[in-house]
Amino acid sequence: MTSRDAILQRIRSEVAKGPRIEPPPVSEVWPRENPDTETMAARFEQEIEAIHGEFVRVRSMDEAAAKLAELAKASGWTSLAPMDRPICREAIADLPPAMLKWPKSNWPPTEMAELSASLVAAEALLADTGSCLIACPTAEDRLLCYLPPSCVVIAKTEQLREHLPAAWGDILPRCFEKTLPGEFVIVTGPSRTADIEKVLILGVHGPKRLVVLLVG
Amino acid sequence: MSSTNSHLEGAEFWTGKTAGLAEPSTPASLAKSAEKSNKNNRAVIDAIPYFQDWREAAHRIKTFAIANLDKSLVEFERNITARGATVLFAKDSAEANRYVLEIAKENGVKSLVKSKTMVSEETALNHVLEDAGIRAVETDLGEYIVQLAHQRPMHIVTPAIHMSAADVGRLFAEELAEPFTEEHTALTAIARKHLRDEYLQAGMGISGCNFAVADSGTVVVVENEGNAGLSTATPPVHVVLVGIEKFVPRMADLPLFLNLLARSGTGQKLTTYTHFIHGPVEGKKLYVIILDNGRTNILKDPATWQSLHCIRCGACLNACPVYRRAGGWAYGWVYPGPIGSIITPHLIGFEKAGKLPFASSLCGACGEVCPVKIDIPHQLVHLRHRAVNEPSPMNSFTERLTWKTWAWFMSGPLRYRLAMFGVRLGVRLAKFLPWHPGKLGGWTRGRELPQVPGPAFRSWWKNRSNP
Repeated sequence: MTSRDAILQRIRSEVAKGPRIEPPPVSEVWPRENPDTETMAARFEQEIEAIHGEFVRVRSMDEAAAKLAELAKASGWTSLAPMDRPICREAIADLPPAMLKWPKSNWPPTEMAELSASLVAAEALLADTGSCLIACPTAEDRLLCYLPPSCVVIAKTEQLREHLPAAWGDILPRCFEKTLPGEFVIVTGPSRTADIEKVLILGVHGPKRLVVLLVG
Repeated sequence: MSSTNSHLEGAEFWTGKTAGLAEPSTPASLAKSAEKSNKNNRAVIDAIPYFQDWREAAHRIKTFAIANLDKSLVEFERNITARGATVLFAKDSAEANRYVLEIAKENGVKSLVKSKTMVSEETALNHVLEDAGIRAVETDLGEYIVQLAHQRPMHIVTPAIHMSAADVGRLFAEELAEPFTEEHTALTAIARKHLRDEYLQAGMGISGCNFAVADSGTVVVVENEGNAGLSTATPPVHVVLVGIEKFVPRMADLPLFLNLLARSGTGQKLTTYTHFIHGPVEGKKLYVIILDNGRTNILKDPATWQSLHCIRCGACLNACPVYRRAGGWAYGWVYPGPIGSIITPHLIGFEKAGKLPFASSLCGACGEVCPVKIDIPHQLVHLRHRAVNEPSPMNSFTERLTWKTWAWFMSGPLRYRLAMFGVRLGVRLAKFLPWHPGKLGGWTRGRELPQVPGPAFRSWWKNRSNP
């Protein structure tokens, strides 16, 4: 008998002795208050700043492109890699072309580690925790979230959700896709640790700086 | 009982491992940090009106999960395999380690990075890799520190909780040839610099798993540092080690569990990174090793099933006055604190760990803070009952003789008076001895022997009623 069968057999014989349990209802976790966009944007800003992330609100994609160029100049970034998404293509319009590094397949991580910053597109923003939900179907998408020292997340106001349970309705069906590769990651602030004497330090392995650019 | 678990020292609460009992300087940072976490945790719980409902809901979902564990394992395997991952089942440590070695050899791995996995502490994977000439580097800052110090984690969430910044500074100076500093930012920067190269060179990344979701076939990993993201995304191969207790049937329940784990583990609303890994990305490999290693022993005793509900948040450790004083190593094995005292006897046997359920004051703090509502105090009492009736150190000849003798002295007034006379005499004489034998010696090494106060109650009562 393989270990797989032996383990399953042991579990089956023991749980069969217990009572049959019906699936419990899914917990609502937080009540739905369906706040308007401005309330959610204000809450998001408050929460992300509390966890040392940065928040920039712009009204249009043109403004977003100008803001990103300004941010890159002010921060002294020499290279920026955007995710290959329509919103990212629009947002990089004002950046000097020499600065842009487009992801290519089998991009060596050693090269990616040299990047100054990344630009990633969020699927949803969670207002009550200041979190960004990002889909990363490729190896390069994943590394863009963790390797560069600065990470800019871009999203539109219609992607704001009041909390994780409210966003779950959009995400859940996609989790069952048979061909879904890679990961979804929820990013809540820049990388941090409190492993030495419980003192909070930012940027231990991942980005030291997280900027969320909200458009709309 | 699997003999492959015996490489660790077994779980003899007391013997020499009690960092805090005799050396009050060592655990100062431990007690302080654990207390800080506990206060933080309590404040978080008190601030949320739904917290008790969440605990109740999580408890019910976990009860459902265990009753359907066999189905969940098969469903998870089917779903994640369909996306290109390889699932392996290991009955014990030796088998899990063998799988890891085989995968490493097949992929020509010379060095690998690990994000935190308590399961690999359980299987002592690092030693096995070292013996096979594979360099394994821990990347969680706390784990990295204890690995450099050749120690074991003191805590399951914050492994280096017992070390001060100065301790870490000295360690980095010694092991990494870095200039001494006790500044937190500088220490963290040193670790960042050294570990960056490790991620980029590693042929394989190993991670644990916080939740394995059956209906979607998803591995969920939560972390704050970004080391799990880097360890699982940078190298060409990712190996997940997961115990069978981490399986939950439905993806729909994740918002509840993520909320509870972050708030109870570190007092955050959500951890910095929550990874939902569905399958390998193009050009990379993903393996999931599902480990039993004694967990199915828990199923044999239905009264203890709920100990499999544990989501390893560490809240019960921080709340426990015994843990805060004695530290994680005192529990002698991988999982310390109140939850460790419950699961360790199952995983490595009552013969070795039968004393652990007694390492508790039964104050109930652990049960109050548990986010999945495990009734830890009653579990401890149940296991005490088992430990004194089954082969265990609490059912040894000496132990039985001691209690028989005690019962005999306690069951007659004359015998009782005789015993009390002996105790008073013993304590008065003991202070003249240069050393004390056995457990008394362990106690008096770090503290004064209490002196017998005044006259005994009986003589006081007699004098009082006949003035």
